[in-house]
Amino acid sequence: MGIAWAIFKKELRVTFVSPLAWVFLVAFLFLAGLFFYMGISSNGEASTRVMMANLSIALMFLLPMLTMRHFAEEARSGTLELMMTAPVPLWSLIVGKWASTVALCLVLLLMTGLFPAILAYYGEPDWGVVATGYLGLVLCCMMFVAAGVFSSSLTEEPVAGGLLGVLFLMPFWVTGPAAEMVQSATARTVLRALALRTHMGAMSKGVVDTADVSWFLLGTAGFLFLTWRSLESRRWR
Amino acid sequence: MIVAENLTKRFGTFAAVQGVSFEVGTGQIVGFIGPNGAGKTTTMRMLTGFIPATEGTAQVAGFDVFESTMQVRSRVGYLPETPPLYMELSVGQYLNFIADIREVGRSVKLRRIGAVMEAVGLEGFENKLLGSLSKGYRQRVGLAQAIIHDPPVLILDEPTSGLDPNQLVGIRSFIKNLAADRTVILSTHILTEVEALCDRAIVIDHGRVVADDTIDGLRNRVGEGIRYRVELGTTRPVAVALGQLSRVSQVEDLGSQSGVARLMVHATEDPRAEIAELAKVEGFAVHAMERHAPSLEEAFLGLVGDERWA
Repeated sequence: MGIAWAIFKKELRVTFVSPLAWVFLVAFLFLAGLFFYMGISSNGEASTRVMMANLSIALMFLLPMLTMRHFAEEARSGTLELMMTAPVPLWSLIVGKWASTVALCLVLLLMTGLFPAILAYYGEPDWGVVATGYLGLVLCCMMFVAAGVFSSSLTEEPVAGGLLGVLFLMPFWVTGPAAEMVQSATARTVLRALALRTHMGAMSKGVVDTADVSWFLLGTAGFLFLTWRSLESRRWR
Repeated sequence: MIVAENLTKRFGTFAAVQGVSFEVGTGQIVGFIGPNGAGKTTTMRMLTGFIPATEGTAQVAGFDVFESTMQVRSRVGYLPETPPLYMELSVGQYLNFIADIREVGRSVKLRRIGAVMEAVGLEGFENKLLGSLSKGYRQRVGLAQAIIHDPPVLILDEPTSGLDPNQLVGIRSFIKNLAADRTVILSTHILTEVEALCDRAIVIDHGRVVADDTIDGLRNRVGEGIRYRVELGTTRPVAVALGQLSRVSQVEDLGSQSGVARLMVHATEDPRAEIAELAKVEGFAVHAMERHAPSLEEAFLGLVGDERWA
């Protein structure tokens, strides 16, 4: 645990020194503000529902850009050799890196707390819906960061790692609209089960279903497991 | 202590290392020398557990590298060819991080970091960003991270690369001191470094060990015997006469200058008495007769061929 904590602290330090984190922060807050404005102006509802739903899609594209350096950069600069020859269990390395980016996401989500506060000032938002929406976004961040960490472990080129991450997450987005276009009922059920919209949509409306939470948690665990396999396989290449 | 037995590493059909075996005891510094692509780094990576061997076994500090990887990793200090640095961190932050992942106890951590920084000449650099350091200083930080946990085994891949001559002397003497109670393997391209630092050298080429000997032992392989550089005060051709002496096996004519013939005499035993006798009989003066010590470069070139040495 001590080693994972050391890696977590180091990752946060390295992230905040790099301009990438600050660009990400500005882009995320700008988009959150834009989606919040769009939601209010389109239906006049004192709700963060539109902002939450759109942010979950935006995170699919933004988070892999933040995680792309995790393993790709370490492999390129040679520091991965340091980590893999020190007595560092692989899970400490993976969890330390993953948790550092999730922590950064939590800070960002905390900053968007300004928008519900504005709603509360001018109207009466449903705090239950706001809370479940945030729960959905936290779960999205956990899964998308895990996917980004995995894609970063597959290459020594950070940009390629970022693009791969987007590519891995894309199916969870496109299966939403695709489910409504197919004729077959079975295919529709499968596509809906895969779609982010199905699982995030319920939470942004105030419904927390164990199946939805499990979907995110399984996705997170799955990508972290694939990262472990990918790093393990480096030894045998 | 390091014991490698029949270490082999294949990448697909390419054999990077083939049947490498050697032993290095405590208190020894062994130089790994060989041309580019000879298999030095691959062997070192196998010894650190970074990559597994296709065949063979290796023991480091009493533990099997492939069975007890974590025990080996905690007992090895490793400096890869490129110092593994996080350029965004300061020297102090970096060494703190390494001490944490190496599980150096809290009570000794700060003292240990201070001692290591002093030992490699990094005092006053604690707050300097690694990205702003020169190549030589980065190398020092790389060395510092390798010894921060006081390991009994050190594996150093080109440890003095990028150092200026002043830094070289300091770091070499530092490594020499480290070896007093440790096992040290280092790879290098600089043969004078092997001569200055190592008790023994393992020459590796095309993934195979082509020589494993003391430095003197390697030198003695050159020319199969003793060589003397002889200068005789004569303009007559004397090479044939010298070649007929019982202790002389071969004579190289190096040319003559100002009435002095210069020759390289290869002998099975000290031929000076015989040459002096010949000079007396033939009536010419002996200007010089000195033993020619072969260099490690000559030995190395003899082992791996000069065209592959860079």
